[in-house]
Amino acid sequence: MDEFERALASLLPRLRRFAHGLTRDRADADDLTQRTAERALKARAQWQAGTNFDAWAYRIMRNLWIDTVRGRQRRDKWIAPEEEGTDVGIAGDAETQAELHFLMRAMDRLPDEQREAVALVMIEGLSYADAAEVLEVPAGTLTSRLVRGRQALVKMLGGD
Amino acid sequence: MAEQIDEAMVIAWLDGELDEVTAARVAAAVANDPALRTMADAHRAIRARFASAFGPIADEPVTMPSPASAQVVSLAAVRAARAKEVAAPPARRWAIPGAIAASLLVGVLVGHGAFAPNGVVDQAGALALAAPLARALDNQLAGAPGGVRVALSFRDHSGAYCRSFTATHLSGIACRGGDGWQLRYAAPGNAGTGDYRMAGGDTQQAEMVAALIAGEPLDAAAEREARERGWR
Repeated sequence: MDEFERALASLLPRLRRFAHGLTRDRADADDLTQRTAERALKARAQWQAGTNFDAWAYRIMRNLWIDTVRGRQRRDKWIAPEEEGTDVGIAGDAETQAELHFLMRAMDRLPDEQREAVALVMIEGLSYADAAEVLEVPAGTLTSRLVRGRQALVKMLGGD
Repeated sequence: MAEQIDEAMVIAWLDGELDEVTAARVAAAVANDPALRTMADAHRAIRARFASAFGPIADEPVTMPSPASAQVVSLAAVRAARAKEVAAPPARRWAIPGAIAASLLVGVLVGHGAFAPNGVVDQAGALALAAPLARALDNQLAGAPGGVRVALSFRDHSGAYCRSFTATHLSGIACRGGDGWQLRYAAPGNAGTGDYRMAGGDTQQAEMVAALIAGEPLDAAAEREARERGWR
């Protein structure tokens, strides 16, 4: 593995966590993670050394997911997509899984742009500047989406 | 310099995004103002809750696709090959148009054991929820912790209240009918099985909610009001 591949490999678990926040579905998250890795490897010539690798990779994932959702909306008005990647194991006990599931349902209820901001900052721990770079929006836009998303979650889930 | 401390500043403070001087100012304001403290605590709790649920995902290993195949094989071919490797036979799942779905009672039949010992019977009230679950749906607000968790409350096209829930062995959607809660959709809960039913069930459950729901889900206030009226 060269340096690029090492950077990608070490980021993949976090990308997969972002995929959970983005897709709110375990099978979709695993599929999106693999597709993002493939896309990043193919597009590696487009990454400029010295620029923010994490933001670049997160952006690939986010854009792939937007394409996926658009494609599904066009294609699958009544037919749900087939399940893929169902043989991937799950770590953690049932209660942890139920909690994750529950929080993913809460994320479902956020508008897409707020969900992305919340996933990048609150779950992934990106700085506001990095998150704005991933989403290609000005810092003020990122902040207002993030705040509205967090307010909505507090309203849904209460403070405890 | 008496700038108001608003919610955005409190959140930025919790995220470590403020410079030292501003952070100190927010910290002092939060310490002295009970309303700000409540707000900060709520946001801190939500963040901690997401961290503990999503955090472990980033500890799980992820396999890198082979660089060679990614460079020479088309994305479609890679995906097709991967789809073939999946052990389970691909089952095409049908989402159901709203009008039909609303007239169906149950989307997916419950896996073995969920209705033990007697199983579902063909009689009136067969799909009524029994006491502990029904009580939880009567009383619990969406988002409250417990053995039964209610995710969403909404009204269906006939105006009846419906709630989606996850319990230990069963998750589903139930709507008010007769004197109690009638199951409209059910899938096995994931307790103890550790299998992968959850993701598929989730997608279908979401589709079912989309088919049943009229308008928007209830917000916290509307939900409380509905509870006080006994969901009638």
